[in-house]
Amino acid sequence: MTSSVRAAFANCLRLLAAAAVAGCGGDGGGRKPLRVFAASSLTDAFREMETAFEAEYPDTDVGLVFAGSQVLRFQIEQGAGADIFASADRTHLESLAGAGLLSGYRHFAGNELALIVPPANPAGIGSFADLRRAERLVIGTEHVPVGAYTREALRRAGRRLGKEFESAVLSRVVSQESNARLVRAKVELGVADAAIVYRTDVAPGRVHAIPLPPEANVRAKYLIGTVADAANPEGAARWLGFVASATGREILERRGFVAGAAPPQ
Amino acid sequence: MREPRGGRGVLVAALPMLAVVTVPVIALAGSSSPADIAAGARHPLFVPALWLSARTTLASVAVIVIAGTPLAWWLARAAGRSPRVAEVLVDLPIVIPPAVMGIALLQTFGPNGLLGPTLAALGIRLPFTTPAVVMAQVVVSAPFYVHGAAAAFRRLDDDLLIVARTLGQSPAGAFLRVAVPLALPGMVAGAALSWARALGEFGATLFFAGNFTGSTQTMPLAIYTALESDTRVAVALALVLAAASVLLLVPLRALPTLLSRGLDARQDGPS
Repeated sequence: MTSSVRAAFANCLRLLAAAAVAGCGGDGGGRKPLRVFAASSLTDAFREMETAFEAEYPDTDVGLVFAGSQVLRFQIEQGAGADIFASADRTHLESLAGAGLLSGYRHFAGNELALIVPPANPAGIGSFADLRRAERLVIGTEHVPVGAYTREALRRAGRRLGKEFESAVLSRVVSQESNARLVRAKVELGVADAAIVYRTDVAPGRVHAIPLPPEANVRAKYLIGTVADAANPEGAARWLGFVASATGREILERRGFVAGAAPPQ
Repeated sequence: MREPRGGRGVLVAALPMLAVVTVPVIALAGSSSPADIAAGARHPLFVPALWLSARTTLASVAVIVIAGTPLAWWLARAAGRSPRVAEVLVDLPIVIPPAVMGIALLQTFGPNGLLGPTLAALGIRLPFTTPAVVMAQVVVSAPFYVHGAAAAFRRLDDDLLIVARTLGQSPAGAFLRVAVPLALPGMVAGAALSWARALGEFGATLFFAGNFTGSTQTMPLAIYTALESDTRVAVALALVLAAASVLLLVPLRALPTLLSRGLDARQDGPS
């Protein structure tokens, strides 16, 4: 007889079925969810805003998703259920708005690029021009805003440092990442000896920053908009208001962003 | 311990591969202090991701066992060419990269996909939900269970099943009371492999289910996300997932052996 084996098998099935039911369970609590999709460089600023926002609106449960703006745009196109989209450049917002997936957007913050190296600085990089000496450089892909801004900065620097500067530096690239924070992680892990990220991504102690020459630097423009089929449009309007409020601007400024609706040209 | 057949030369030739498999895990284990791991376990991403991984992988294994067992039986026992063709098709998710399976799922259930608009008309939206996590895990990990169970079913003695029928068992009765208990070690081993594969699922989940804390961010995605804020936290989370996987591996390796020993003892009778 194999009754004990059979009983064990039946118990297994019962356990698995219970797990299946639990796996499909909904989220509890009566707070209304608000899904905010944001460029990865906004990670620290928006996490801080989440706490402050939920203190002001306790009935709202903010859920943050961070990724490269191009990844978030793809997810919204595929119906990811976002309420808010905050992008690090115009391209991806305009594409969504053109497809009728975004009901308006506005500028809310500015940023700049920075060159980062590991604290030990193994390649001995002291200036932007030294990038030609980097053995292992990591930048963003050409579709992620930080990667597009990086290429623009290299083009601008080439005007003073010579035409071949851009191609010489690009030939040192060993990896292209899909968002600014993954670029920074390569320097933190010590597998890159230089990388280009936003000024606001510089984590003191973990990476060492080298400013870009003013004529090469690029002014990154952050835009924010409400998704057309947002499940929580009231919450989205409140979030937009909060980002533009004195508290929101103060958080952005403290994290190194230039806060404000009208960017200086 | 058995002496490796072929003597010391084979052992020397075998060591590099063994090192390739084990050294990274040892390096990971040595890279974090207990304090780092404790900090990783306290990270806000950790508990929701661990809990989500636990329930989605259990749900996936349940779906795979319930839906995969009839398929495995048919593959093992049916005659003709179609089971052979189907067996090759079952392998597809193993040979196709997970990220491609994620895109394929979006092309099926996404808003512009094959079935998406029909489901949307019924009020069902699958991408970027917890059920999408389970679907991604089921698709990529089901072949491991189906193969394991089919192999176990193939090894069954036909005479035992015929005897069970002549003793008055229905086909379903013969299957549940004779075939399943005898094939159980192979089925459990296959389910364990599927579970391990589901636990590590990353690519298909990222594309099809997204990366949302609490609803679609499983442990592998939490590690990826932690890399964006603090690499130390990512390493600690990775270590916790590795530890959980090793803890899974030991009983899962031992269980089929124990089960088959129990079966042998019963078949041989007291000796």
